[in-house]
Amino acid sequence: MKKETGKNMRELGYFASLGISVALSIFIGLGLGLWLDKKFETDPVLMFVGLALGIVAGFSNIIRAGKKGKNY
Amino acid sequence: MEHPYLFLTSVFGLFGLEEWAAHHPHVTYMWLAMIILVVFGWLAGKSVSLVPKTAQNVFEVLISGLEEFVVSITGEEGRKSYPLLITIFLFVLVGNLMGLVPTLYPPTASVNTTMALALIAVGWSHVIGVWHHGFKYIKHFLGPVPLMIPLFFPIELIAHTARVLSLTFRLFGNMMGHELVVIILLMLGGMFLAPLPVMAMGVFVALVQAFVFFLLSTMYIAGAIEEAH
Repeated sequence: MKKETGKNMRELGYFASLGISVALSIFIGLGLGLWLDKKFETDPVLMFVGLALGIVAGFSNIIRAGKKGKNY
Repeated sequence: MEHPYLFLTSVFGLFGLEEWAAHHPHVTYMWLAMIILVVFGWLAGKSVSLVPKTAQNVFEVLISGLEEFVVSITGEEGRKSYPLLITIFLFVLVGNLMGLVPTLYPPTASVNTTMALALIAVGWSHVIGVWHHGFKYIKHFLGPVPLMIPLFFPIELIAHTARVLSLTFRLFGNMMGHELVVIILLMLGGMFLAPLPVMAMGVFVALVQAFVFFLLSTMYIAGAIEEAH
């Protein structure tokens, strides 16, 4: 296999898995917040903190991909 | 969804284990996939010669071609992870293709199998990272600015958990969906030819999903090897 094909495949895999990782990051943050809320009995607070962290994590993925995409 | 008839469950029924085998088809069929792979590996390695004959030819093209592909992504350091990666690729491929044979159940259509595979792949990428960078591997999780560490650490933790879950659910969802569509078409559209188009597409889906799982595990290992951003 040529070297260029391998590099293209790598970029394809990276950008194709971007969408699902954004969605999953948000849900993982939300789930983590809900679980910690149940544990410490601080009902809605940690859920919002976890949700915010999840959204930031998801969007940091997009920003990182955007920086990577500048090279093309 | 209950499978109408499973071959291995009746085989286990001969030994009085039918109850257990009916509840864990992914375990018994994973053993079948392992047996298939071991037999093929034994057949290919039995008579290795300098001038390859038919079976050896096929395996050499497959294995050395994919090895060059992995090395072109990870660099020369990734060569020692290659045995794990090719094992994952072949196991997932055989597991997916088993869904196309009647009376067999694809072990990758169970979330237990795919979660185990994803945990092994992602966990090994962290082992490689610690091996390469030592204690400095933690810089991968801390972001560029020291002041922002309390913010970046949970974010990176969430992003790395998302990797495991995305590998798990992509493979599980594709194979489970394919199984369901075939079963529903069998029940709705008559016994024999109705699910044929979906099964033809299933060959393609099995190949692509095995390759995607392999490619993403390779990329996670490559990401662990390179320097922190």
